[in-house]
Amino acid sequence: MRAWLLRRVMQAVTAFAVAVVLLFFLMRAAPGDPLSRLSENRPLAPAEVATLKARYGLDQPVGAQFRSFLRGLVHGDLGVSIEYGRPVTRLLAERLPATLLLGGSVLLLNFTVGLWLGVRQAVRHGQREDRWLTTLSLAGYAMPSFWLGLVLAWLVAIEWRLLPPAGMEDPLLSSGAGLAARTGDVLRHLILPSLTLSAVSIAATMRYQRAAMLDVLRMPFITTARAKGLSDRAVTWHHAWRNALFPVITLFGLWLPILVTGSVFVEAVFAWPGLGSLAAAAVGGRDYPLLMGASVLVAALVVTGGLLTDLAYALLDPRVRLA
Amino acid sequence: MSRTIGYLSAAMLAGIAVPANAQSAGAENSIVIVTGQQPTTPIPTLMEGAAASLGNMELADQLFLRLAGLGPTMLTAGDRGFVPLLARSWTRRDSVTLVFDLDPRARWQDGVPVTSRDVLFSFQRAQNPAVAPRLAALLQHITGVTAEGDRRVVFRFSHPYSEQLYDATFHVAPLPAHLLDTLPPDAVARSSFVTQPVGSGPYRLVRIVPGQFVELAANEKFFLGPPKITRVIIRFATDPDARLNLVLSGQADAMDNVIPPLDNVRRVSADSSLRLIPVPSPALGFLLFNQRDPADTSRPHPILSDARVRRAITLALDRSSMVRVVFGNYGEVPYGPVSPVLWIRHGAPKPAQQNVAESRRLLAAAGWRDTDGDGTLDRGGQPLALRLSLPSTSAVRRQLALLVQEQLRQVGMRVELSQMEFPLWIERRTAGNFDIDFGSTSQDPSPSGLSQGWTCNGGTNVGHYCSPRVDSLMERAVLTRENPAEAWRQVLQQIEADAPATFLYAPTYVYAVKRRFRDVTISPASSWQRLWEWSVNR
Repeated sequence: MRAWLLRRVMQAVTAFAVAVVLLFFLMRAAPGDPLSRLSENRPLAPAEVATLKARYGLDQPVGAQFRSFLRGLVHGDLGVSIEYGRPVTRLLAERLPATLLLGGSVLLLNFTVGLWLGVRQAVRHGQREDRWLTTLSLAGYAMPSFWLGLVLAWLVAIEWRLLPPAGMEDPLLSSGAGLAARTGDVLRHLILPSLTLSAVSIAATMRYQRAAMLDVLRMPFITTARAKGLSDRAVTWHHAWRNALFPVITLFGLWLPILVTGSVFVEAVFAWPGLGSLAAAAVGGRDYPLLMGASVLVAALVVTGGLLTDLAYALLDPRVRLA
Repeated sequence: MSRTIGYLSAAMLAGIAVPANAQSAGAENSIVIVTGQQPTTPIPTLMEGAAASLGNMELADQLFLRLAGLGPTMLTAGDRGFVPLLARSWTRRDSVTLVFDLDPRARWQDGVPVTSRDVLFSFQRAQNPAVAPRLAALLQHITGVTAEGDRRVVFRFSHPYSEQLYDATFHVAPLPAHLLDTLPPDAVARSSFVTQPVGSGPYRLVRIVPGQFVELAANEKFFLGPPKITRVIIRFATDPDARLNLVLSGQADAMDNVIPPLDNVRRVSADSSLRLIPVPSPALGFLLFNQRDPADTSRPHPILSDARVRRAITLALDRSSMVRVVFGNYGEVPYGPVSPVLWIRHGAPKPAQQNVAESRRLLAAAGWRDTDGDGTLDRGGQPLALRLSLPSTSAVRRQLALLVQEQLRQVGMRVELSQMEFPLWIERRTAGNFDIDFGSTSQDPSPSGLSQGWTCNGGTNVGHYCSPRVDSLMERAVLTRENPAEAWRQVLQQIEADAPATFLYAPTYVYAVKRRFRDVTISPASSWQRLWEWSVNR
């Protein structure tokens, strides 16, 4: 097991390193640079260009820029954002809580509601509830999240005035407000974006879980369990569901990067101060340090997601380790 | 599992149940403004490079006062169009010397008086190219700033010109020397002053919540009178729909850039608690013609170097209808490269109306005819085909480009739209790699900035337009101190005649503001600059 784990970790580190190298050089190879966009309205004098290039290290050859980036990465320093003029690590750290909160709530909804509904569908296979849930899940899967976000914001926030349409907190909330009021305030702001983002992912999880459960429910050991007189609940959750989790573990690994990337569109529609919108703005402005910082974070998470999935497989199924 | 779902639902409901307005006392004296621009470094002399953004400048205007402000006429020439701020008065010693007397009541927010030492310190930093290359270039005509006692500052200029007062007051707001002059210039950006600035303006910075909002509190000791609105929240939302939703749901009191899209006007108008306030904008959209061959810039452009073709394009377009389609009543067709914020637009002639017959005549005179009957004009076997480059990020330009394409097709021109990502578009534009470029600019209130785009050696003259007559007229307009309006009118007439571009639209910015606010003034130069004079209906 230890050798397997070591080999798998080495693979993950290699994949991460390759991703970082590719990201760095592809980004530099893309047309447009961070300073050209500043000259749309006003020309930049040669001295001004030189000063700004030196300030951001853009006057160095690409190889030297890469070495400098690697040195910084090792020390946890991702440079200074060209757009914000502040350390990238600090910008990422400021946006990370909002991102984790939104991504975490989406994953939570996804892997609670989605799994539960998927299991219900499988257990009631062919019945009216199964057909209705199938229709609903397909509708949810087909709905563009930005459109759903706009509709929810209009209906719930403007027409019914039940929830705020955007932001993460009420700026007018008294500084003396207690923890409960502050938590409630953040929750109120969280509901619409997390529902919007969850709609698609819950639908996907439902479909996966339903199919996996149907496969397991047809197996002989389930018939044996029933023959032993176990309750439906015990058969479903203790015997069938645990064996139907493997495809969903794969899905979890794929969804994990959502924790960081969120959805650029949904973050924009709800003015959610997460990393997705920060990274999207960095792409438009060719803010290399910020873009690299966000990309490194996402790459790390994708690789970690894959590693965790494999680990979970190995822990749950010894055949994976042996293979 | 069912229980888990139940707990989650309960938590959600608890979130909803918490009072939506657990707001601080005095919220009625607050204003929440929603904008798309997020400030990062709202400190004079530090707003360079990407930090020279509207978001930073507008916030800096709340925190720091200038010596004088642009008055409602936005007249930048001469000394009459300005209102006193930190300086209570100014006089001229001669044609190159301006003397400012500081208001003795002016104080920094820590109570220390504003003195000539602060002005000197700030201009030393601003004129240092290593510290503030943008400002140093803008202030190049100021040759010296000296103090005569604590309250008098003397500015000397390299030569007589009409915008000396503008240059001395518009670009730099003084910084507190007593807090900053011990810091090396490059250390200020990393100092606590950036997050806890001490200014001289009507508001002080309370906190910046990254990615969400900035909170300001009234400077109760503001020497021009304490602001009646005591708390200001500036929220950020990059998405226009999110901004409008915040206002329509009652979560914000004011927003900028209500349009585009035009339908937003209807939505805001339907809310009786809101009013629309149109304000002249510094924006201008135009089709810039490349007069050099993009493949070899040493050669003239095979089609667009001919002024008759350029004029024909302008005359073929129904610009008034285009502006109406996109901006409704909140836009106009400009005469020359002049946005509504420039004072030289007053008295300018009306822009030419669409005249398809004249357009066709000009093209025919230039040798373009449809010899093969395919609907596209040609000359010497070459079709009259052009590429129109535009950034895919601009919905307005995308919409208008389609109209341009269709209207030019009707006079026999084939226009291929080339939409591209903003950085790629700006790179190609800067390199002169285009036939027609759909440009948009945001102008300073000073017309002298026009020299950058429309003189032979102008820094943003990427279309290679060169008219020695315009250069000479513009130089005279910038330098003259007598009737500069007439000099500028001649500049505009010549540019219109040369048609280096088709000037398509000059929008009016539309703001939505709750009716509960009175004495509302929105400045074209800096939207919320006069916020300290607003009051609230009881």
